[in-house]
Amino acid sequence: MIEKIFYHSVKIDEAKCIGCVVCMKACPTKAIRIKERKAKVIAERCVDCGECYRVCPYNAITSLTTKTSDIDRFKIKVALPSPVLYSQFRPEVMPDEILTVLKEIGFDYVYDEALACEMTSIAIEEYLEKNLSPRPIISSTCPVVVRLIQRLFPDLVSLIIRMEPPREIAAKNLRKELSWEHKIAEQDIGIFHITSCPAKMVSINKPETMEKSYLDGAISIREIYNQIMARIRHKERRFMLQSQTQISGIGIGWAISGGEIRSIKHDAAVSVSGVYDTIKILNDVESGKIKNIEYLECLICPDGCIGGPLTVENRFLAKSNILRFIRQFGGKNRIDVNYVRQLYEKNYFSFERDIKPKPFPPLDNDKNKAIQKLKKKEKIMKTLPGINCGVCGAPDCESFAEDLVRNEPGLRSCVFLGESNL
Amino acid sequence: MIDQEATLQEEFEITGGDFINGGSASCRIKNILKDIGVDAEIIRRVAIASYEAEMNIVMYAKKGIMRFFLTPKKILIKVNDEGPGIRDIELAMQPGYSTATTEMREMGFGAGMGLPNIRKNADKFNIQSAVNKGTQLEIEINLNSKK
Repeated sequence: MIEKIFYHSVKIDEAKCIGCVVCMKACPTKAIRIKERKAKVIAERCVDCGECYRVCPYNAITSLTTKTSDIDRFKIKVALPSPVLYSQFRPEVMPDEILTVLKEIGFDYVYDEALACEMTSIAIEEYLEKNLSPRPIISSTCPVVVRLIQRLFPDLVSLIIRMEPPREIAAKNLRKELSWEHKIAEQDIGIFHITSCPAKMVSINKPETMEKSYLDGAISIREIYNQIMARIRHKERRFMLQSQTQISGIGIGWAISGGEIRSIKHDAAVSVSGVYDTIKILNDVESGKIKNIEYLECLICPDGCIGGPLTVENRFLAKSNILRFIRQFGGKNRIDVNYVRQLYEKNYFSFERDIKPKPFPPLDNDKNKAIQKLKKKEKIMKTLPGINCGVCGAPDCESFAEDLVRNEPGLRSCVFLGESNL
Repeated sequence: MIDQEATLQEEFEITGGDFINGGSASCRIKNILKDIGVDAEIIRRVAIASYEAEMNIVMYAKKGIMRFFLTPKKILIKVNDEGPGIRDIELAMQPGYSTATTEMREMGFGAGMGLPNIRKNADKFNIQSAVNKGTQLEIEINLNSKK
């Protein structure tokens, strides 16, 4: 049952895991413990950031993204690639060529997410103008940031913009339009996001703001990369396709940190990327230290989505590719601004339901007991060596002390103190 | 007055002018409250009130002590600083009033919202000050109050 309540984007392969401490140490929310020589995820602490996936030296952590073979269960198969995909190839490979190749691979329709990014940029401006709610308003784009706020900063949940991110807006549009156009039931259309982000699977299978996601799955760029490469490599250049490119320059920028706020006219918009810097700025927001900032874009991966765990290309080269595309395609709106404003008025972008805080479980549900346990934890910490070696199976001495007062099963003792001294 | 057994106490020494570490005491308080399972809205109020109180010491005083008491019912924060004191408390409590230097303002402080913000977020707030001696604050926030 626990599995159903806490669905996560990565899985630890116990056959490959040898119980080293690398992932446990890398986890920013201290969600991993080593028990019986295997890494275990504490489900309610995990925010699906993918740091463990990045660092595992034994390839024991796999991402649970959709397999390309899974798309066949739908009558109409639609690909919705993140603009990150365009950044993964040689500079001369243009977005339209990649979209065409996706069709050859087996998708019936392929659409550019960047267009929905551009729509969302316009809608964010409307939101900032029309909502006088407390500032800063925080972006809802990164599913990990949303979960991080729910868990670590539950009191900031109300600052998250109450608007769906571009991938959902794009899929919502596509499903409706394709269903009209081809007179086919909406459930026969399978829409797949192609992404650098393992957490998209969680936002699709366990959405926080709606009953059911408009997407049917997320395919890892790493999974589909070789198939695209094979076709790009062996075919003639597609000059005609390149020249009629209709990609949104504003939208494509969303692949890198700062892309979301680039087209916002407010000066007081800030972009932050990377898990530690995101935690740091959210801490400052929580203390009220961040003043006079209207909009805060936080992306958990370094440099934004191009730094996602499921990418192939070096993120600095990928970033340079995106910057070149932005220059090439320009900053002109491809979408009728008034049309987006009308949609905004009809709550087209709005969440179906509000995001709920999901704080880590307290030391005890009884506040009296929780205070006693906290005192006990402090006392234990004073006896521990404080060198955070991780041999006990907890990432640091503080977590070990906390696990002790929580009576976590399967704890090993501190190698420096032994059983008797605790 | 205070039941030692049921209370968690912490004491923080705060150094005037230390903008680098300023904010660490309120951050620690925040984490304690999260461990205890205090309601998110209350945590936010405590976080803001304690941060403003801490930064007031950093900005204006030589040094100060912040004492934090937590019982199952309420949070009490007592602040004592050795600083210039406040000549006119009523004036200092008015939003927008500040004696911050240009330098402090350039660092993003001194908007004159510190004390008003503390009062706004507290259930009980008491301030006493003696010029050239220091200022004492008492901030009380109930764990189950709604504002």
